[in-house]
Formats: sequence, C-alpha cells, structure tokens
Amino acid sequence: MRVSWKWLNEMTPLTLEPTELAHTLLEHAQEVASVEPLCSAQGLIIGHVLTCEPHPQADKLSVTSVDVGLSSPLSIVCGAPNVARGQKVIVAPIGVTLPGGMTMEKVVLRGVPSEGMICSLEELGLEKKYHGEEGIHVLPDDAPIGGDAIAIMHLDDTVIDVELTPNRADLMSMMGMAYESAACCETPLTTPTHDVQESEPSNPFQITCDTPLCEAYYGRMMHGVVIQESPWWLKSRLIAAGIRPINNVVDITNYVMLETGQPLHAFDADRFGSQHVHVRQAQEKETFVTLDGHKRVLSARDIVITNGTHPVALGGVMGGLDSEVTAQTTALFLESARFDPVTIRKTARRLDLRSESSNRFERGVDPNRTLYALERATTLLQHYASAQVMHGVVGMDTFKAEEHRLTLRLERLNRVLGTTLSSQTVRDLLDRLRLSSTGDTELEVILPSRRLDLTTEQDLIEEVGRLYGYNRLPATLPAFSAQGGLTEKQRLYRRLKTRLNQCGFDETIHYALVSEAQSQRFDVLKDKSLIRLAHPLSSEHEVLTLSLLGPLCETLAYHTHRQMPHAAFFELGKRYGQEGEEDVLAFVAMGQREQHFNHKEAFDFYFMKGVFEDLLSFYHLKADAEPLAHESFHPHQAAQMKIGDQIVGVVGVLHPRLARAYDGDVMMVAELYLGRLNALKEPSAPYQVLTKTPTVTRDVAVIIDRNTLAQAVVDETIALALPAFMSADIIDVYEGKPLEAGERSLTLRVRFNDPAKTLETQTVDTHMEALQAHLKATFKARIRD
Amino acid sequence: MEALKQYETQLLEALQKVENETQLNDLKAQYLGKKGYIAQAMQGMKDLSPEERPAFGQAINAVKESWQTHFDSRQKALVEDVLNARLQQEWIDVSLPGRSLPRGSKHLLTQIIERIEDLFIGMGYEIKEGPEVESDLFNFEKLNLPADHPARDMQDSFYIDEHTLLRTHTSPVQVRTMLAYGGKRPVRIICPGKVYRRDDDDATHSHQFMQIEGLVVDHTTSMSDLKGTLLAVAKAMFGSERKIRLRPSYFPFTEPSVEVDVSCSHCDGQGCSVCKHTGWIEILGAGMVHDNVLKEAGYDPSVYQGFAFGLGVERIAMLAYGIEDIRHFYTNDRRFLRQFNDDQGGLSE
Repeated sequence: MRVSWKWLNEMTPLTLEPTELAHTLLEHAQEVASVEPLCSAQGLIIGHVLTCEPHPQADKLSVTSVDVGLSSPLSIVCGAPNVARGQKVIVAPIGVTLPGGMTMEKVVLRGVPSEGMICSLEELGLEKKYHGEEGIHVLPDDAPIGGDAIAIMHLDDTVIDVELTPNRADLMSMMGMAYESAACCETPLTTPTHDVQESEPSNPFQITCDTPLCEAYYGRMMHGVVIQESPWWLKSRLIAAGIRPINNVVDITNYVMLETGQPLHAFDADRFGSQHVHVRQAQEKETFVTLDGHKRVLSARDIVITNGTHPVALGGVMGGLDSEVTAQTTALFLESARFDPVTIRKTARRLDLRSESSNRFERGVDPNRTLYALERATTLLQHYASAQVMHGVVGMDTFKAEEHRLTLRLERLNRVLGTTLSSQTVRDLLDRLRLSSTGDTELEVILPSRRLDLTTEQDLIEEVGRLYGYNRLPATLPAFSAQGGLTEKQRLYRRLKTRLNQCGFDETIHYALVSEAQSQRFDVLKDKSLIRLAHPLSSEHEVLTLSLLGPLCETLAYHTHRQMPHAAFFELGKRYGQEGEEDVLAFVAMGQREQHFNHKEAFDFYFMKGVFEDLLSFYHLKADAEPLAHESFHPHQAAQMKIGDQIVGVVGVLHPRLARAYDGDVMMVAELYLGRLNALKEPSAPYQVLTKTPTVTRDVAVIIDRNTLAQAVVDETIALALPAFMSADIIDVYEGKPLEAGERSLTLRVRFNDPAKTLETQTVDTHMEALQAHLKATFKARIRD
Repeated sequence: MEALKQYETQLLEALQKVENETQLNDLKAQYLGKKGYIAQAMQGMKDLSPEERPAFGQAINAVKESWQTHFDSRQKALVEDVLNARLQQEWIDVSLPGRSLPRGSKHLLTQIIERIEDLFIGMGYEIKEGPEVESDLFNFEKLNLPADHPARDMQDSFYIDEHTLLRTHTSPVQVRTMLAYGGKRPVRIICPGKVYRRDDDDATHSHQFMQIEGLVVDHTTSMSDLKGTLLAVAKAMFGSERKIRLRPSYFPFTEPSVEVDVSCSHCDGQGCSVCKHTGWIEILGAGMVHDNVLKEAGYDPSVYQGFAFGLGVERIAMLAYGIEDIRHFYTNDRRFLRQFNDDQGGLSE
C-alpha cells in the first residue's frame, strides 16, 4: 500500500517525520519498503509565456520570453511543439537540478541564449504511465506567476510504501492506515464524511441476485455528469498510490476505493442495456470482453454482473468494455458491492487479472463501508463531475449489523507475552486501536467490522503485544528441566561423516530431484518405484533420486571438466521411492588419493572396499562381497555387499563406457544402504581379558583355481573350527610362473591361541595338517611348500 | 726396550696411513700378533735373571697397553668415518613438501546445522527428522493452512499427486512429533532438513534448501522466552555483540508472528551495503504457536502454549561468509567446499 503522507495527515495529524512514522510502523505494525518524495524535483517555478517565436536558426525550436515574477522575463529556448504564447508553464531556472540529473546552466542554443527550461511532466520525474502527456505541461490559467509549480500540482508529497501481510486487509485503505498510524502515534482521528443531495425522480434501477457469492450490492443513479480531467489534488493522490488518473468519474471511484478500501465501479447508464442489475454465477464457457479489450472465457465459479441478458462486469474483478465510462458519458450507475473473497481470488488467478479491486475483495472488505463508500463517492461526483443524484439507493445486503465481542483474559495475555501488564495498560492499548473494552481480569472487547482479521483471543493478544512493542519484552529462556541430546543414530551419522572426511572425502549435498535416467542409473536394489513430480520445472529435476551415486558422478564429471582429475566426495542423504525414504551414504573417487613426489597412491577398488568395511565396523557388522553384475559397473570389478541375504551396499569401478560418458577415466563408487544397516546394527563386542599364553602363527600357501573366491577359502578355514583357532587372513596373492595358467596362490596366515595353556608345536602341526587336507579336498587345491 | 720405543714412533705414523679395518688388522698383527713386535720382545725374557724378569715384563705390558689404546682409538675413528660417509649419502632436501594427509571437508551447510543443533542440545532440545515426501495434511492442513489458502497454490509447491508433495518446510515434523506425544508431553525440538519450493534456481533462489525449525510447547513458554532463545541463536551465529529486533509479521501457524532481524555484523548496526543501510538483517521468522495448530496436534490451547521459529540455513551461511550465490551449495565445487574445512564452521564465537 503506497500511502500519501499529506492524505494520511488529513485524517490523523502526525507530529513526526515520514521516516519516523515508517520506523514506528515497522516496529508496531507492518514493514515499510520505502519512503520517497512523490516528486523529487525542487525549485521549479510557475512562468507565463509572454512571447513565443520560431528560432531563427532551427526549425524545431522556439524562442520564448517567460515571466517568472522577476524584474525581467527569462529568455528560454524550448523544443516542445506545444509551447505557445499565453501559457502558464513549469520553469526550471538556472541552478535547478531535475530528477533526471540535469542541472540548468545558462547556455546558448544555435546563437540564442537560454536561461532555463520549460518542463514536461516526465522531466519532473513523473512516469509516463501516470499522465501519457507529450511535450511541456501546461498549467491552469490562474496559476500564480513565480509560485511553486510542484506545490500547485500537489506533488509536494511523500509516499510511504507499506508492505502488507495478507491478514491485514484493513490496511489496504487510507482509513485503515489512519487508524493504524493513530494507534501507533497516539494521534486523533477523523474519517471522511459524505453529504449526498438527492433529487427526483427516483433511482429507476432494480437489483436482483441469485448467487450467495455476492454478499451485497448497492447502486446509485446519477445524470448530468460532465466528464473532465480531475483536479491535481486528486490526481496527485492517485499517482502517489500508483494508480493512473483517467477522468474525474473513474478517478473518484478509485479515490474512494483507496480511501475506504471498498472497490467501486461506475457504469455508463445509457450503455448499460437495461435498468436491471442481475448478479449471477457465469455459465461455463460464457464469454465476456473486459474493459482492457480482452475476451474472457468464464467458468461457473465466476460472478458476473449482468443487465438481465448479458454480462456487463466480471464481479469484483473488472468492468466490461461495452458499459465503460467514456468522454461522452452523462448518466452513471455507480456500484458498490461485496463478493466472496475465495471466488474473487480464483477468478483473478485463473484469468491472470489481478486488479486493485480484486486484491481488496480477495482479502475481504469492511461490510460497514459498502454503503458508506457509495455515498462518499456520490458526494465527490456531485462536486467534481456535476452529478445530479437520483433519489434513493437500490440494493441488497446479507450483512447483519450485530455486535461481536471477545473475552481477553489478562492472565493468558501476560502468560503468552511473558509480561506483567496491568488491565489498565491493556485497556489503554486497546483504546489506541479504537477497540472498546470493559472489564478487568477478563476484558470484554467489541470487535469492529473494519478488523475482520480479529476473531480470537490470540488475535487480541497479538494486537496488544505489537502495540506495546515486542522490543520492550524481556529476553528470557524457557524454564526447562529436560535433557537434550542426539539420538544414537544421529551420533552415528555424525561419526560416519567425520570418518569419511578423515579418509579424504569431501562432503557434498546434491539436489534430490534429478532426471529419470540419473535416478535409476545406480539403482541396484530395484525395490522401489520412482516418485515423479506432477509438474516439474525441467526434465533435469523431474523425479526423486533412487541413488546418490548419479548426482555424485556428475560432480566428478564437473571436476574433470575443470582440470581437477583427483577428487573424492561423499553424501549422506536419502533414496526415495513410493515405498518410502531410506537413508543412504554414497562415496565416489577418481584419480590419485595422494600425489606426493615421493608417494603416489591411486584410488582403487580395495581402497573403496576398505572404506566401506571401515564404515560397517561402526555398526559392528561385516559383509560378504559377491561379484555384482550391473550395467553401470565394471563387469569384473564390482561387488554387492551382503549381510546374510540382505544387500547392504555396493562397491565397484564404474563401467568404462559410463565413465567415458562422464568424461572420466577410472571412477570408483560405493553406496551403503544405511536404512538396512540401522536395522542390523550389532552392539560392540564385550571386553576381553588379554591372553597370557603366546599366540602361534602359521602361514600356508594354497594353490587354487583362479575363479575360486578368496573369501571362500577363509570361510572354509573358519568353518573348520580347529581347536584353539583364532583367525585366518589372506596375506599374499600370487599368479604366474611357476603356477599353471588359471591357477592362483593364496597365502593364508592362521593364528592359534589357547588361553589356558601354551600350545605345543606338535599340536599346531596337527591342526595345520588337518586344515591343509580340508582345503585340498574342498577346493581341489595344492599346497605350496 | 729401545727397539720397542722406536717401533712405537713407526706405529703412530703407520696408523695415520691406515684407511680401513683390514689394513688396521694387518698392522695389529704386525705389532700385537703372535709373531708381532711385542711377542718378539717377550722372547728376550728368557735371557734375563729371575730378578730382572718382573720389571721387564711390566715394562713390555705397559708398551702393549699403550699400543692397544692407539689401535682402539684408530678403529673408533675408522667406524666413525664409515658412518659419516653413509650419512653423507643419505642427504635429503628438507625443503621439499611434506605429504598432504587427505582430509575432506564437512559441507558448510552441515557445519552450520550441527552448530545450531549443538546450541539447542545444550539448551535441552532434541533433534527430530521426518519424511520429505509429505501429505498435504501434515504440510498444510494441520498447520492452519486450509484447502483454499493462497499459500497452497499448486504453482508454488512440488506436488506428486493431489494430496502428496515435497514438504515446503520442516513444520510437518513438528506436527508429527506433537501427535506422537499425544498432547501430553512438553515438546522441545528442532527439525533440520531439506525442503522444496517450486522456484527457478538463480543466485538467491533454490528449488531445494535447508531449513531448521524449532518448537517448544509447554505450559508457560512465552514470547519473551522466544526472544531470549533467538537472541542466543543470533549471538552464536553472528557474534556475542549482536542484538536482535522483532517486527510484527504474519504466518498462518503462529500468532503473534514476528520477523527477526539481527544487527548487521559488517557495520555493527551503523548501516552499510550488506544491510541495505538499515543496520539490520532479516534472519528468520517466528511466533507463538497458533491455537489451531495446537488443537490439530492434540494439544489443548487453554493449557498448552509455546513458540516456533524457522530459519534458512543457506541464508545464514551466505550472511556469515558473504557468499553471493546460493547455487554454490549444490554445485559442490571442491574449491568452494574446501574453504570451510574447519569443524568450528569459522563462525564467530
């Protein structure tokens, strides 16, 4: 809401500066976007064009002498085609700086000296949308020579642009702003009056309405109307509010809308087509041409004002072209109505037709101002459009004028605000808001119709709180006896992230919305169906991702493209499917982990697997790696990690074809399905007393078929459950001479310990023989000496 | 004996010429060996009378010990030379760089979230999380945003079907928590997480961003408590000198509602380009929980009350570090990520 400072002061005389008011409003009411002069030009004076001759050297210039009240007239060269002798004009004399930045100096134009400039409205800083004038502006004949040109045009005003929250519909009017300013600044308040002089015959219009979406409809009929330009005091206030002046009738309807918040519409009564207003809901696909010349296709939820046969206005949104007020209009039918807010909002949205009128109706207007605004506008039309008002207002209204009261409990107010306000203080604050109240610990508050937003005790607490001032509240902390903390899972996630940082991975956060291809590219589990947006903004962000690896690989590609070939990233996030959301942790790497001149280390499968296993150890879990066959992975360098029958993650090298598609070389990826791990998590192992007996270590080299998995050999060793067996680890792997092709040698380090006694060599020898025999038999293995 | 004295002079000269242990051992044999000079001198013992022998023996032994000392010291020097030669070989350029131990960085948004989480944990709060794919019931309906509310426009949110959407705030977690508590227990939670709005991405808009919301519901928690709590947040994130300002505002789920500004840390509230010459920077929205929200979640508003607030994590990060483009957070350029490789988040204490 753009508020004219002078207009506001007419209703409530403010003793502070506009910027101070802005600050007060910001603290107690609404945010203020800006405080700016309506016209920033200064020092412009009224001149009288005494002579106007063509420039001897230039076709398009005129040489004028202009009386500005000084001892001798100014000689001014003017380029506007409309300049003429006898005009009263706006003069920018030497030394004045115009809003555009130009400072007047004495200049010689094609041999003729010029002592200033005759100004157009645009040169005053008034945007063309507010006047549409070409050439210099001509003032009325009675403008006083040498007087302040800005003041005579009422442009010496300040505009306060108040940003309104959607609940404060009442502030979409100057009256509402006056109530608010008066409450904040403790100033008196006067509201505009009306004085309609009626004459015979009676208003011939008949109003019928058959939709509950129209809550009230009043009309006045007047004739003898003279359409002309509005006086500058009125135009300047419309411009201050951001509305373009049109003619006196349209301007007055807009002026009263700004004043009261009640939108009005004036029809040309002679072009209305009947003397019957019928309000109804539109028919589906009914068409109608609004006054902006656009043909609108309506729906059954729209409200139309008809003349009994066809629509003449789209109720509450915009009038029709056919019944618009024109320069020839002499008879008016003036409408003041109320419509269902939701309907207006939907119509305006659907037709993309937001107007000053619809903006007010969709937030709700004061039902006590429907008739008031009609009478106020009629009064002004009498004065400024020579309107002769016919006898009587016709109309209907569903509003029942009854008193609405609310109880405000002092105890609750102070409990909510954390204050100790007395009932007197609260009543004083309510008085400032013009909310009358009685009572002490329980205040009875009468709710005025202008504040439709006040319906609950909580609303009143807010009113008292903001007017008292939130910045006067003490700053305390809630009285808690609770103990806060992270859950076990939250703690674990933080540790997982820290561990990956320690391993050299940078944490990333990606968009969860990705393309369909990206979402599915690394979906190994295939246990969820895609979640697709109904109305995506682009195909790049159309579905929720089923794996974090897609976005992470894009990030690797991003770094390849920017000459950063060595990188490692992780993300702890979610995979999303119609079956639910699951936490996942994914990490990727490419290039070298270390690039020291003395120590180079490339990321490889076993590094990734090691990190994977390390992360699993936070859950006290171990997983088995099985070869993974998936089109996105290297066919022989990828594993699915399983615990029992459950796949808890994948580790692998990207398929080279896919890596090339990412413009990468070798790319390593891994993903842990944390949701599944959380369910499997084991407690940490209990403390074990250190054994006092020595541990015996034996190595055995087993030659097996190349395709036999090493883990199988370890598993068999463990499964054998030899007495005093401790552990079995692969410590060396060898292929090549003197082994046959297709053979592989694994060196297994086996440890034995008996906490009760020191093991004898012979005993261990026996165990090892049993193991060798078992492995030979199970894997058709040979034992290397 | 005279001869021995003469040999000693020769020995000292010879030892100086010895270059390695082999030569030293040869020389040792010549002087101290079985057929060496000492051994030869001992031969003369048998020509002496028994009375003379002890003195003779002692004199020879003294010479022998003296020679032995010469040999020992020479040998020590030789070992030292060998070691020194080896160490010379082992020269390295100590100015070459040390190995850079790979250390990844925590994402800046994570750092800020953890910092705020820790602040609130210290004040007795729990951290609650919830689904990002939400029903309109929890995202809107139960938050005093009924079906016809303008904020529920299809254009502004990512809908999946008529009643399901990507949550537009983390408030549904608050609703879920209150419902789980059954309208009985006090609530003290903060809810961090990803939220979504149907905005085109640019320097200041992101269709996905991080939010942290807080909620306290009990019998006495007041607007003054909200103010004190938010002051603590402002000081933790922007420095202990910071002040806050509460401005009246409107949100459907709180009443009274406020926007909260923090005094500008760049100009200390004097006015600069960062705060658009107002001295204040808007950081979050807050208010007292709306009665309808409490009712919908099973809490009796005549007995329970409390506050809620919500802040945008990216906004806090951008203000604290002067980051100019919100898209950096999701581009994940490691040159960006690694600038915040600091567990403290680099924020002022």
